[in-house]
Amino acid sequence: MEEKELVRLSKEGDDEAFAALVKKYKMKVFNLAYSLTRDAEMADDLAQEAFIKAYFALPKFRFRSEFGTWLYRITVNHVRDYLRKKSRMNKMLYEGFKENILVQEDEWAKKEQAQIEKQRRKLVHQCLQVLPENYQVIITLRDIQGFSYEKISEILNISPGTVDSRIHRARKMLRKKITPFLSQKGGSHEM
Amino acid sequence: MKCKKIERLLLQSFDGLLKEKETEELENHIKGCFLCQEKRKQYQAILDSLKLKDWPEPKPYFWERLQPKLKEKQKYEAWLVWKTWSMRAIPVFLLLVLLLTAALVFIPPGDRVELSESGVLLLRNLNPLEETRTLFEEEKVENKNMMLIFYTVEEKNGNGSIYYEKQL
Repeated sequence: MEEKELVRLSKEGDDEAFAALVKKYKMKVFNLAYSLTRDAEMADDLAQEAFIKAYFALPKFRFRSEFGTWLYRITVNHVRDYLRKKSRMNKMLYEGFKENILVQEDEWAKKEQAQIEKQRRKLVHQCLQVLPENYQVIITLRDIQGFSYEKISEILNISPGTVDSRIHRARKMLRKKITPFLSQKGGSHEM
Repeated sequence: MKCKKIERLLLQSFDGLLKEKETEELENHIKGCFLCQEKRKQYQAILDSLKLKDWPEPKPYFWERLQPKLKEKQKYEAWLVWKTWSMRAIPVFLLLVLLLTAALVFIPPGDRVELSESGVLLLRNLNPLEETRTLFEEEKVENKNMMLIFYTVEEKNGNGSIYYEKQL
């Protein structure tokens, strides 16, 4: 059955049609939530909640965009609310992480490449999570999910020009956050 | 060209958005600028680190876990709608009761109007002269007199109203 038909039936309260839509999009919605939170447990909860929100918002869906784009918008907005609540905690974690990294500098140099890579990823994601939530979202959509500028502009309901400038500012800010860790001479987490 | 402008081009280059001329500008600048070379390396490393290698999966039975939540929420939503409307209806109902009470208290009841029989018939859209038509149409005087006597007797006995009822 075509997606439009499934959406139409779901709007009329057909649970089987909605189940088919859930089956089709659960991985995408979960991945989006996961790439924003880095917490599989939380991403699962957020994905479920996003589907619940979508189900009750279906009567308002007017087929002006693709169902997938509309669903991503709901997911992003829902995860954003969660990130806003969590941002204070992230800042505290980041401060702790920063101190920890500087203390372990020498030990890091001895670690194997795979572990260094892992630590670098952790560092980048930790830094990403302390960015303003607008920037976290745009970097996630572009650099992790790989959505095009047009798709991002549809999901976030902003112009492609705004997408471009926001991505630019977000990447610059992320680099700025990471810079203190990059300057360590000979450090294995040097980029 | 200034490094600031080059940084913009550099970031756009990761998304493949540069025109040929811009790419050329970028490359020419980077060749001679150590700082921008470093920046490019750093951005590249950051973007590479952002890419996720291992994507976890949602917990099993996603739909089975979702369905009862939807049902529960449906009930709650219905209750919420009822609650919202009842919260709106209560003041409206109270206002109506107040207005009705005020109307009963402040507006004096009007005098009762007793209708005559012909008035009742007119109200029911019937000709009040119907029953007397036969009387008027009777040509013989003695018959007319007899009819008048019978009508009078019927009216006295209260049968006249029965006549009207039957006509109705």
